[in-house]
Amino acid sequence: MYKKTRARYFFLMPGIIWILAFTIFPLIYSLYLSFTNANMRNFNRGWDVIGLENYASIPSDLRVGETVVTSVYLTLGSTAVTLVLGTFVAWLFNHNLPGLRIFRGILTMPLFAAPIALGFMGLILFNETSGSINSFIRGLGGQGVRWMTDSWSARTAVLLLDAWQWTPFVFIIVLAAMQSIPDELYEAARLDTASGWPIFRHITFPLIAPALGTVALLRLVETFKILDIPLSMLGGGPGSATQTYSYYVYITGLRSFNMGYASSLAYILVIIAIIISSIYFWRIRARFE
Amino acid sequence: MNRRLFTFVLVLSALFTLLSLTTVLAQDQTFMGKTAEELFPEVANDQERSSAMEALLAANLPDATGRFAGQTLTVSVQQAGARGGISGPYYFWRPAFEAATGATLEIVEIPQAQYFTTTSTDFLTGQNSYDVMNIGAWFLSDYVVNGWIQPVEQFFDQEGFPEWDRDAVFPSLANLMKWEDQWYGVLNDGDAQMLYYRKDILTDPKWQEEFQAETGMEMPVPPKTWQELLAVTRFFNGKDWNGDGDPDDGISLHLRTGGQGMFHFMSLSAPFAITPAEGDDPGKVTKYDNVYWFDPDDLTPLINQPGHVAALEFLKELAATGSEAQFGWELGEAWNNFLNGNAIATFSWGDVGSLAQDPSRSIIQGKLGGARIPCSERWYDRETGEFVEDSENPNCVGNTTGGSWFPVMSAFTDTPELAYYFMAMHAAKPINFWNVVYGWTGVDPGATYTLFPPMGTATVEDYVNAGYNADDAQEYITGYGENFFSHPIYQTYLRIPGTVTFWEILDTRLGQAMIGESTPQEALDLVAQEWENTNNDLGREEQLQIYQTGIGYTPGG
Amino acid sequence: MTTLPKSLPLETPRLAPIRRSPLPRILLWLAVMVVTLWVLYPFAWAVITSFKTQRQALEPTFVPFLQFQPSLENWGAELGLGGRETAFALGNSIMISVGATLLATLLGTLTGYALARFRYGIGNRNIVSWVMSQRFLPPVATLIPFFLFMQRLKLIDTVPGMILVNTTFTLPFAILIMRDFFADFPEEIEEAALVDGASPLQIFLRVALPLATPALTAAAIICFAFAWNEYLFASVMAPKDAKPYTFLVASTSTVRGVHFGYLATRMLIAITLPVVLSLFVQRYIVRGLTLGAVKG
Repeated sequence: MYKKTRARYFFLMPGIIWILAFTIFPLIYSLYLSFTNANMRNFNRGWDVIGLENYASIPSDLRVGETVVTSVYLTLGSTAVTLVLGTFVAWLFNHNLPGLRIFRGILTMPLFAAPIALGFMGLILFNETSGSINSFIRGLGGQGVRWMTDSWSARTAVLLLDAWQWTPFVFIIVLAAMQSIPDELYEAARLDTASGWPIFRHITFPLIAPALGTVALLRLVETFKILDIPLSMLGGGPGSATQTYSYYVYITGLRSFNMGYASSLAYILVIIAIIISSIYFWRIRARFE
Repeated sequence: MNRRLFTFVLVLSALFTLLSLTTVLAQDQTFMGKTAEELFPEVANDQERSSAMEALLAANLPDATGRFAGQTLTVSVQQAGARGGISGPYYFWRPAFEAATGATLEIVEIPQAQYFTTTSTDFLTGQNSYDVMNIGAWFLSDYVVNGWIQPVEQFFDQEGFPEWDRDAVFPSLANLMKWEDQWYGVLNDGDAQMLYYRKDILTDPKWQEEFQAETGMEMPVPPKTWQELLAVTRFFNGKDWNGDGDPDDGISLHLRTGGQGMFHFMSLSAPFAITPAEGDDPGKVTKYDNVYWFDPDDLTPLINQPGHVAALEFLKELAATGSEAQFGWELGEAWNNFLNGNAIATFSWGDVGSLAQDPSRSIIQGKLGGARIPCSERWYDRETGEFVEDSENPNCVGNTTGGSWFPVMSAFTDTPELAYYFMAMHAAKPINFWNVVYGWTGVDPGATYTLFPPMGTATVEDYVNAGYNADDAQEYITGYGENFFSHPIYQTYLRIPGTVTFWEILDTRLGQAMIGESTPQEALDLVAQEWENTNNDLGREEQLQIYQTGIGYTPGG
Repeated sequence: MTTLPKSLPLETPRLAPIRRSPLPRILLWLAVMVVTLWVLYPFAWAVITSFKTQRQALEPTFVPFLQFQPSLENWGAELGLGGRETAFALGNSIMISVGATLLATLLGTLTGYALARFRYGIGNRNIVSWVMSQRFLPPVATLIPFFLFMQRLKLIDTVPGMILVNTTFTLPFAILIMRDFFADFPEEIEEAALVDGASPLQIFLRVALPLATPALTAAAIICFAFAWNEYLFASVMAPKDAKPYTFLVASTSTVRGVHFGYLATRMLIAITLPVVLSLFVQRYIVRGLTLGAVKG
């Protein structure tokens, strides 16, 4: 009954107004910039509206293709790795072992490492000559990996760092989902003397699948925005190997100061984000009301 | 009173008296009523403090407290901390500056990778936070053309400012601080890449013999051409010449994308791609001579010309005589490999010479060899469209590769006089010289008084007093000076708007070529194509005009 | 099946282990150890590197004293000579993060409560979708317009300005977490209060808010971590007076190359505070992240 009270606006509006106030202007302004030739030279002297020219030149921009490849590899790769590892770790922690609590705390630590610092950390870890990862590989009798001088290895190094940071996120959510599965289901299965893997395959997995789907979407979107780690770790190199799409938007807009073009690149990303979020809401629509 | 205690107290008071006496003696000199301890609170040792005090007094800074008291000066600088390269000296001399002017100096440190973005955004949005910015030479064109900085010549030779010797600045370096013959920058750091090698090994008769046996040529000390250098690094690469039990490297380079690797290419490719003008003045800029970046008539990129491509192929060959990991190294790592005694040679900035003296960074003090950047026995003549090979008279082209980090004055400053006072103070001969001699400052030689005769007036003792090994100082400073004075011609610096973009493109594509993802020809073709686009975006006509002015080219001339 | 329990009793997992032989248990522990090592390894390497000089940092040595002589140079420089700057930047980081956290959780709680309790003409789901979509926007896209906007407000390079920036980025997260919490929260208690004649505000303050402490804590710690780790906007908008600590981390890459020892030192300092916080409020984070992501 009190659902109709006027007070409801008092509760709702502060947050909504805040978001509107601070995001609407930048968004509209960037949309406008994307139709202009604004750059460093003319920014204060007046630029021209050039219609869709910026958007038209995107397909022929070599860097766009290169950076999209990197972004897609990182996004799909890191999402897959975090999902598999996160689920595995959640499965481990879903066992009744005494003392596990302490470890759970340790395992969430990476989530709170600043990505910019993480990239620099990668610089030390993946260093080909002095880095501990290559020392470790050599210690096991392998050959050092060319983390910094081979395109796919470098992309993989960035992927591993990102996965290191975000595996705990998947772990926490999947663990929660696993623990919401009623015991009765397991007990029934155990009476059938099914052992570990079949139980996981036929009972646990189907029940955590919805949560996994949600997490996957969230991770896809977040990883596509990745910028800090490649920026600080490899400067986008070797060559353009670890330049992600966001990175390209960044250097176009804020190093070359080709603001018009950068805004059009960014808006492509906004459109992709809208498509992905639509899928997201379509998928979990049922849970919202 | 216990006798022992009495003795103890006696000795203690004697010590105390002695201590206060020395303090008083050390305090005999003051500047603006301040002692050396007050002016230089953070020093590595007493020698550093007393020499700094001496330099300060010799700089003869005019008392400007009447004019500037209470004002604030905001200076931005590449971040490296209070004892780091380039930003360190601004902190070091801050108390002295504040004492001389009565003003407050605010130092804003900005991470180097972010510097152009942060300062440009500040100007673009009209925030105008900084009075003085310490910039890399490749920022100058954008800053000038956008009207963000102002010339400083109006303050030259005026009363009430610190004096500095403009004529002592290396001419090629002075050009970088000027725009259309007007001074915008004031001397601070001087950058060029020179050759460093292990003198102890190259002059070792045992190695010389082996070298001759293997290659049939005499060991070149120092290597004078790139081809000689390649022979040397190829010979030493993979041999255990430092006796640590492991095979060691030939060359050590910083080739990481974003790790200033493209500067290596610039210095190396200059003698492959630039020809001197015929006639009396070899430095005259014509359509075919003394140009490196673009065709001065129509702005066609020259970067994928045969000479440039041959240079990149050569750089790959040279890099193959060192660690494979160097394609992922940035400055620190490449220097370290050389300073740790694992590489026979490197070519880089003056910093290597000074860092070699720091025991926490280097084990090669006293073993350093230095020479000017090598020439090339093979180069491309664009006029005839042919390669020239001549090992008797190689093509020699000097460079001013690098940042040459120097201060410029904002066009929007409220305190231009105070700003110039600050800039001139750091350029004042005794202070600049002190900065050069103390290597931790990151300030490399930029004026003749830092060189040895006949080019300059410094003495080896000046450097030895600051902790240099005498032989090393001789090698490094002589090599650096020759780098600036002994070449017939010098590579033009890229000075058009968008230089940051041009170099970012070059750096990226070079990176791909270095790791074998594309051939040198493919990589440089791509650079040319992307440079064309950039020029078109920025306005081709205007870019061409600025380029011509920048390199001093008159069409048809 | 996707509904999560209202409280997550992580301390007492329901699935009993398979106890037929001791072997799986040993294997499980082994796996837990491996995972823990994988997580701790980079931290450990950073700790080791922070005690190395620049020359040592580029050698693959692990054991101090045996393989290399540890040096306090980096820590000394960071906390001694550079101590003032470290303290200044850390102070800024704390003010910015705490400010943004307080604002975002305050606004997020109100709006989250509203979205869970009341109905709006425009459709609650639409509002939630729109709030959620804010998380999908790439921040780079709006940096320059944002800068111009902040400039109008005269908030460039000020702590309030950076609080505002970070509040804007973290607010959607706070709203979603709080909305989910209140949506799961039984309405009956509040309705009882309503019968007693309390106003909606009184009900919110006296009944709902006290019970929301766990979710509030979770939202707060997540907002704090996000604000603490922000670098991109800070590097352009706050280079001087409001410089946060991430700025110092980035600055270990200098004109003379990367200084690895400093880098490790600063990275550890940067990571310490949020990690320590995260360990303290462990239970609430698990809740918060779960609520925020699975349900919204």
